[in-house]
Amino acid sequence: MTPNPLALIAELTHRCPLHCVYCSNPLQMIAAKSELSTEDWIRVFNEAAKLGVLHLHLTGGEPLARADLHELVKAAHQANLYINLITSGVGLTEPRLSTLIDAGLDHIQLSFQDSRTDSANWISGTKAHALKTELSKIVRRFRVAFTVNLVVHRQNLDHIAEMMEFVEQLNPDRIEIAHAQYYGWALENRAALMPTPQQIDECMRVVADSQERMAGRIKIDCVVPDYYARYPKACMGGWGRRLLLINPAGEVMPCHAANVIPGLTFDSVREHTLDWIWRESESFNRFRGEAWMPEPCRSCDRRAEDFGGCRCQALLVTGNAAATDPVCTLSPDHFLIENLRSAEVATAETSAVSWTYRPNPL
Amino acid sequence: MPAPSDSSQPRLAAGCRWATQGEDQVVLYPEGMIRLEGPGRAILELCDGQKTFADIVHQLANQFAGADATVISKEAGTFLDDLRIKRIVDY
Repeated sequence: MTPNPLALIAELTHRCPLHCVYCSNPLQMIAAKSELSTEDWIRVFNEAAKLGVLHLHLTGGEPLARADLHELVKAAHQANLYINLITSGVGLTEPRLSTLIDAGLDHIQLSFQDSRTDSANWISGTKAHALKTELSKIVRRFRVAFTVNLVVHRQNLDHIAEMMEFVEQLNPDRIEIAHAQYYGWALENRAALMPTPQQIDECMRVVADSQERMAGRIKIDCVVPDYYARYPKACMGGWGRRLLLINPAGEVMPCHAANVIPGLTFDSVREHTLDWIWRESESFNRFRGEAWMPEPCRSCDRRAEDFGGCRCQALLVTGNAAATDPVCTLSPDHFLIENLRSAEVATAETSAVSWTYRPNPL
Repeated sequence: MPAPSDSSQPRLAAGCRWATQGEDQVVLYPEGMIRLEGPGRAILELCDGQKTFADIVHQLANQFAGADATVISKEAGTFLDDLRIKRIVDY
């Protein structure tokens, strides 16, 4: 029997004032004119709640770019969803935050690019750092869960201890140290983002120290990044198992990056119910369960833990979406990951940083 | 990290709240949810930010007649401390 989904990631728009070089949005972004209407989203939130979804993650792009955000939050709250806002903060003022919290917002996750202003602005291609720092003080005036998200990679990991001190003084409930993941724009910029083994060791040491020091005050999450882990991540908690994502045009996808897999088509909430898409659609069933698994996954004790890892990564690295995630040291393709890792680190050592900023959709 | 003292007034942390899922009572928090039953649910339902930890232990001792208050205090303290580290409870 198909389990019920627990969380819905709603990419409300691909418009964003920031141009982060590791953005998880696809290279082909959805134009503003193709975005779902307020009514469409509200209908979808109600369908999601009926399907068993508990958590709604409002993201983008920048969700604040939607002028109807407070209406969406209100409707989602009325549908009994727990509402997370994943934001750069650009476009948020104290009155607007107050309106969103009154409408039922439960949790705000604010992204940072670095502790150092120049570097943060260089990574995001905007001058947003000072505004974010100010905004974090405003957030603390409200009773709302507050997470600071910091994306780390080769260009900022040399001062991880300084970054931890910076995010600590923002006084959040939670800190998420998120290693750049190589999909979308981060894949385009992988050579500039791939950390060195020394950076990873130092990062894990600093994070462990901080976790101990801040225990009970701030919860810190950080996992060993792709290309350095022994085993793959349980991507999305398993394909079509716990999460679904809806892009700004209403196409429902099992994950952020699934559109890189050739031959998969995504059904739209404009044409089908969410229930049908979750249970019946070809895309959600393609890698659901264990029937699709090759060896070594098929007979592996870890298959119920990591579900074979990430299908998109398997495709991007091996060319076959149905292969074992090559991050896994048990995968026959693991040497590809090791080669890529060394090659990217070597490239970065011998050439100046050049990268492609994420543009805005039309 | 210390367990609550007698005068602590535990409550759910900001952004953590009760919800019903089917037949179950759960607490939702930013990364997920915990399903609560038995003593855990009894403890957390008393954490309203008003009652002290000493009050809570006293009420639990009445609720679970025959249980030793010292044992309740120790176990409830560990339970709440663990939830504080997860940033689900404040005191």
